Amino acid sequence: MFAQQLTNGLVLGSIYALCALGFTLIFGVARIVNFAYGEILMLGALVTLSLMAYLNINFFVALPIAMVVIAALSVLVYLSTVRPVMRGTPLQALLVTTGVLYVLREVAIAIWGTAPRQVDMGIEGVLEVGDIIVTYQRLVVVATMVVLVVSLYLVLYRMRIGKALRAVAQNRDGAEAIGLDVNRIVCFAFAVSGAMACAAGALIGALYAAEPTMGGTPLLKSFVIVIFGGLGSVPGAIVGGLLIGLIETFTGSYINFAFKEVFTFLIMIGVLLFRPAGLLGGRTA
Amino acid sequence: MTQATIIALAVLALIAPFLGDYQIYLLSLTLLWGIFALGMGLLLGYVGEINFGQAAFVAISAYVSTLLRLKLGWSFWAAAPVALMAVVMCAALVGMITMRLRGPFFVLVMLAFGEIVRLILSNWQDMTNGPLGLRKIPPPEPLLGLSFDSKLNFYYLVLATLAFATVALARLVRTRTGRMFVAVREDELLAEFVGIPLMRHKVIALCISAFVAGLGGLLMGPFLTVLAPAQFTLFASMDMVVMVIVGGIGTLAGPLLGAVFLIYVPEFLSFARELRPAMMGVLLILVTLFMPGGLIGWLKPMLEHLSPARRKAVPATSRDTP
Repeated sequence: MFAQQLTNGLVLGSIYALCALGFTLIFGVARIVNFAYGEILMLGALVTLSLMAYLNINFFVALPIAMVVIAALSVLVYLSTVRPVMRGTPLQALLVTTGVLYVLREVAIAIWGTAPRQVDMGIEGVLEVGDIIVTYQRLVVVATMVVLVVSLYLVLYRMRIGKALRAVAQNRDGAEAIGLDVNRIVCFAFAVSGAMACAAGALIGALYAAEPTMGGTPLLKSFVIVIFGGLGSVPGAIVGGLLIGLIETFTGSYINFAFKEVFTFLIMIGVLLFRPAGLLGGRTA
Repeated sequence: MTQATIIALAVLALIAPFLGDYQIYLLSLTLLWGIFALGMGLLLGYVGEINFGQAAFVAISAYVSTLLRLKLGWSFWAAAPVALMAVVMCAALVGMITMRLRGPFFVLVMLAFGEIVRLILSNWQDMTNGPLGLRKIPPPEPLLGLSFDSKLNFYYLVLATLAFATVALARLVRTRTGRMFVAVREDELLAEFVGIPLMRHKVIALCISAFVAGLGGLLMGPFLTVLAPAQFTLFASMDMVVMVIVGGIGTLAGPLLGAVFLIYVPEFLSFARELRPAMMGVLLILVTLFMPGGLIGWLKPMLEHLSPARRKAVPATSRDTP
């Protein structure tokens, strides 16, 4: 029982971590709470679904294409709405991204309708190790998450643009002063964030369901996770995501299933009271 | 602008008897949202904080008052003060936790608070009847011989509540406390430096804002006759925010105008009813980017232009200052 719950918690946690990565990246680089993030994730799931249906291709072929499309969309959102208020108040950024949330959701409802649909990864079968039962699909989800996290790490820590991105996250004015094109780098951050969101959405669609109203939960979870891990911290998002997955699974099975989410929110508020910068401190990107 | 608001409220009271049932319903709905927007407007415009958990305050008031009536048989008028007290106490408690947080953390924790309340409402089956909600909520009991069974009389109750909230807030923002709110909004550090107790003022503002939301919440049950957790999602709070921003932030008439605009425009453009959420999104973006003063900021110069007496009294140079 315990080992099974641990496995379930880690699978759930890896999806949460993936959700939070793209969100925390934008906050780290642009200092913006992107309320439209959940909707970008939702579009990722639905675009993947449509690509599979119309081009008649496999999930793993459709996903990279969808990631490119959603990355472009994310950049478009930045250029059209966020960029004009980058020098304004944080309130303005919050308001425009909330506006984008409304618009994207309605557009998705107009295109795909409200019915929930499953993304078919085409992976069947169950793995049994002792008492633990895991579907192969869930294992593939975790493997995909690991691949994406490793790629993100390589981009951030091994590529020049990643280095520049971390520089902007640490000190925007400083980065500008040494001649970095901040606008281009924020664009890049939105693109990476969009691609990560797309992957997270497609995987959620495979495990649960893809529908235009699916964006709310990942957005809320991302908030909670980044508060656990520290706003803007990439390692924090991964640790926080796994932690929330475990907390929800264990409180759900050992205390009260209906109130499991209430526990996570209460723990989050507790964390904020005693560690206002998150459990892992205020490190960025 | 206050005068204009008073005139508008008086007109709303006078025309009501000549309207049909549907128009009365629509007006009541608008005024109810006006109350919610007013509460949000105080926090957004005078304290500079955005509260995505405001719907939770409405929910607490609505559920507490309705449960007291349905389960314990209390009258509306006995349940109302208890429900309002519950809301203000919750706001004080939450405020003492959240107002210490800076930057985006306030927004995130209030959002979490809203979710906690909504989750409790949908999962505490025995008490709240879960997602199905409370049904068959009767109109308020007669008060001083006045019955609220008819739609028209209930409309007057909503109007009176809105008028009370508007007048009370209009007085508040002119007092020392109101000016301190603005000082805190404009520059927290400086406000603290000149000796304004930051925490206390922010918590008080949140309590007042929650009280106004609670006033609306009291009326929500009897008005809709149904209460369900789905009415109190993040999107209800967002709608209030949109009303404040579109109407005009930093004023009291703005949120009211925003409520009128956002309920009547989709109503007139019947094809646009389905597009309402999308329209709200587009408006929110456009107003934030291009019209920071909102509808009020755009109407004000026109109104002053229309009344020649006013124009003479106000020197031309000061006409542009808000």
